[in-house]
Amino acid sequence: METGSNMNGGGGKEVVGVANKQSIRWTDFGLRFLAFVLTLVAAIVLGVDKQTTVVAVQLVPTLPAINVRATAKWHHMSAFVYFVVVNAIACAYAAMSLVLLLANRGKKKGLSLMIILLDLITVALLFSGGGAALAVGLIGYKGNSHVRWIKVCDKFDRFCGQVAAAIVISLVGSALFLLLVLLAVLNLHKNRRL
Amino acid sequence: MANEPEKVVPPAEASVAEPEKAAPPPTTGPTDYFAVADVVLRLLVFASALVSVVVMSVSKQTEMVPTPFPPYRAPLPAKFNHSPALIYFVAAFSVAGFFSIITTLGSLYSLTKPGCSAKIISHFIIIDVLLLGIVASATGAAASVAYIGLKGNTHVGWGKVCNMYGKFCRYLGASIGVSLFSTVLLLLLVLLSVYSKKIPK
Repeated sequence: METGSNMNGGGGKEVVGVANKQSIRWTDFGLRFLAFVLTLVAAIVLGVDKQTTVVAVQLVPTLPAINVRATAKWHHMSAFVYFVVVNAIACAYAAMSLVLLLANRGKKKGLSLMIILLDLITVALLFSGGGAALAVGLIGYKGNSHVRWIKVCDKFDRFCGQVAAAIVISLVGSALFLLLVLLAVLNLHKNRRL
Repeated sequence: MANEPEKVVPPAEASVAEPEKAAPPPTTGPTDYFAVADVVLRLLVFASALVSVVVMSVSKQTEMVPTPFPPYRAPLPAKFNHSPALIYFVAAFSVAGFFSIITTLGSLYSLTKPGCSAKIISHFIIIDVLLLGIVASATGAAASVAYIGLKGNTHVGWGKVCNMYGKFCRYLGASIGVSLFSTVLLLLLVLLSVYSKKIPK
C-alpha cells in the first residue's frame, strides 16, 4: 500500500518536472538568441565607429586658430577596446551555449551547472564592460574640470551618439543574461521543492 | 484468539521502532558545511565592500600647482567626488555592503535555527545575482577612469594625473583591487548557493 502511494507521488513529480523543463527550455533559448543578437550588434556598432572632423586648434593665443583634421576612432580609448572585446566574448559564448543546449536536451546533468557558472561570468564581464564604456563616455561628454580633461563630444557628436547606442544595447543584452541566470536559479529552487 | 497475539506484537514493534526514529539527530551532513561557507563568504563580501568604500573615501591628496599669477602656487586637491564614476563606485559598494550585512545576518539566523524561514533565506540568491551586476559595473567604471588617470590619453588630450598625485592613485588602485576580489567572492557565493541546491537531499 505504501509503496503504491510512493510510486504515484514519484510519477507526479516527474510529470511536473518535465513540464517545468519544457517551458523553461524555450524561454532559455529565446533569451539566449536575443542576447547573442544584442551583444553582436553592440560590438559591431562600436567596432565601426569612426568620425573625421576639422578642429580649430589654438597653439599660441596671439596667432589665429589653425584648422586641423582630427579623427576619432574607437580603439583610441582602451575602455572601448575592452567593451568591444567583452561583447565579442559574450556573443561567442551565447552562440556556443545555444548550440550546446540544443544538442544536449537533458542528457548530461553536469552541463546545466557549468552553463550557470559561465553565464555568471558573462554577466560580470558584460556589466563591467558597460560600466567602463559608460564612465569614459561620460567624461568625453561632460569633461572633467578638476583634472583638465576637455570634453570631446561637442566636436565628434556622431561618434559619441554611436557610443551611447552601443552602450545601451549592450546593457540590455547584459540584463538578458542576468535574467537567464535568475531563471535558471529559480527553476532549480522550484524543482527541488517539488 | 489467534489475532490477539498478532495485534499485541505490532504495537510492541511500533514502540520499538519509534525510539529508533526519534534517536538519530536531524541530518546535517554536507548542508551544514554549505551554510557555514555561506555565512563566511557573505561576511567576506561585506568586509571587502566596507574596505573599498573607506579606502576610496579617505583618498584625498592636496598638491601645490604652479599658477601664472602671484603667489605662483595654489593648492589643488584630488578627491574621489571629482569624478562621477568614482562617486558611483562608492555608492554601489555602500549598497552592496548594506545588502550583504543583511543577508549575512539572515544566513546566520538560519544557521542557528535551522528550518525557520528557510524559504526567504533561499531567495537571498536573487539579491546576490543583482549585487554581482551592480558591483561588476562599478568596478569596471572606476577601473577605466583610474587607467586613464594613470596612463593619460594622447588622442583626446587627457593628461595623466598619477605622476602628480601618487598617494591618491595608490589608494584608488588598492580600492579597485579589493573591489575585484569582492566581485569574485559574490560569484563564488552564487555558485555555492546553486551547488547546494543541486545536491539531492
